[in-house]
Amino acid sequence: MTEAANISIDDAVLVQQCRQGDSAATERLIRKYQNRIYNAILRICANPDDAAELTQDTFVKVIENINKFEGRSSFYTWAFRIGVNLTLNYCQRNVKLGLQSLDAEDSDDSDDKGVLKKFLTDDSLPDPAVVIENKELCRIVVKALMKLDDAQRAVIVLRDIEGMNYAQIAEVLDTELGTVRSRLSRARTNLREIMETLL
Amino acid sequence: MDHEIPNIDELLNSFLDGELDARHQTEVQRLINHDKQIAERLQVLRNCKRLVSSLPYAEAPDGMLEDIKASLEGKKLTPSAAEPVSFSAHRQRQGARHLLLRRLTSVAAMIGLVAVLAAVIYSIVAPQVVTNKPVAVEKSEPAVTVATAEKPAPFTGRLELKTSSPSEVAAFINKAIEYNIPSDERTAAVPGKLRESHTLICSRQNLRVLMDELGTIWDKINSATLLVNTDRPEGQIVVDAVTPEQIIEIAKQDDFETQIKTAKYFAAMNNMAELSPGKEVLIAIDNSTLGLITIPKPVLTSSEKTIKKPSAQTEDNREVHLTITVLEH
Repeated sequence: MTEAANISIDDAVLVQQCRQGDSAATERLIRKYQNRIYNAILRICANPDDAAELTQDTFVKVIENINKFEGRSSFYTWAFRIGVNLTLNYCQRNVKLGLQSLDAEDSDDSDDKGVLKKFLTDDSLPDPAVVIENKELCRIVVKALMKLDDAQRAVIVLRDIEGMNYAQIAEVLDTELGTVRSRLSRARTNLREIMETLL
Repeated sequence: MDHEIPNIDELLNSFLDGELDARHQTEVQRLINHDKQIAERLQVLRNCKRLVSSLPYAEAPDGMLEDIKASLEGKKLTPSAAEPVSFSAHRQRQGARHLLLRRLTSVAAMIGLVAVLAAVIYSIVAPQVVTNKPVAVEKSEPAVTVATAEKPAPFTGRLELKTSSPSEVAAFINKAIEYNIPSDERTAAVPGKLRESHTLICSRQNLRVLMDELGTIWDKINSATLLVNTDRPEGQIVVDAVTPEQIIEIAKQDDFETQIKTAKYFAAMNNMAELSPGKEVLIAIDNSTLGLITIPKPVLTSSEKTIKKPSAQTEDNREVHLTITVLEH
């Protein structure tokens, strides 16, 4: 039995207990997914305060509608679907919000851009530890992400940050598998071009 | 190379993500091995993917769980805040009973309103007695007009009382008549096998006293019908379910027109009340009779000289001719 299968069985039990009014099970579900959902939402909307509020709204809506969850998909993708939809709707209403916060932090550090250029062109894989330690590099990547349109950004976040497979992404975004494939391809191509323009 | 294979980027991305089946995976691997450009493109895509996935993992702020619970508490959605099922069901039942009561009250009010409206409309549109004679008659003698308004019109009628205790009621009426009506204003009772009759020619005042007396045994009367003579071609006006108060009210009217109107009014109201559930209308009518039936006396407007009739004529106050008949019900 794989770990994913175990997680899914645990979720089903917690959801059932939550439906029966078990507040401890409700807390466990929230604790289990709050960081993952917050992180994904933050990478889509790029504002920590908004991400916190949207995560809170997501879980309130999840618990409100827990009796409507039919179990046709996993609880994990169902909860993400609610969170991503809330965030995309929010982004549509506040198109410039993420860009404004990033623009204010923009800087011109040529050393960091050199590192990024090396990452993009080097044959060797970039070391994640280097990226994490280099805050300016992170900002450039995040800024490039924010220049993508919302749908492309969401698909990249779900695949490359959250690590979902294409089927799960299709479920979360309520779209076809082929659409996920083509949208992800276009998103990565665009992201690379955007990052190159930032160098 | 991109032009030769239009979906090469999709293939490379799917290859990177492990989303190709075995056959396509092998084909893409073969392409990469044999085409340096494709291999470089794959490398750029891989680095791009790695850059994004290397972004630091952000954890939810402290207190997120408490904030979510607070929001749920605010919306009363947490299980602890929810009402117990039994209490909820009790409240639902209470609500249903309350709703039913309100609906019944509304229906009762509507029925009452319709009955009152129907009574009012009937009183307005009820057919009137068509008089063939003119209302006012002028005599040809010049300069002499009799003020007829000062001479009250007599009341003539018959009261039929049906009772399941005819002997008891008849005995009571006999005593009441003997006690209240002077001997010269009544005839002796005419007893019969099935009925007993009294004929009274008395004043309105004595009639009032007698009716007040009879009111004390009215609950023993199963049916009381007053037939008012109108001296008109239409004949009598029948007032079913008449009460002593209504008889007094009709008899005390000074002219035939008002007597007829009053009798018709009571006839209509009593019929409506008999048809309505609970006879609420009857109570309303009894309470509002005096207010509704106030018809001013005719006023002489002519400038001609008015001569009053001699007092001997007006002193004859025996204006009521009433026959009371007691029948076995």
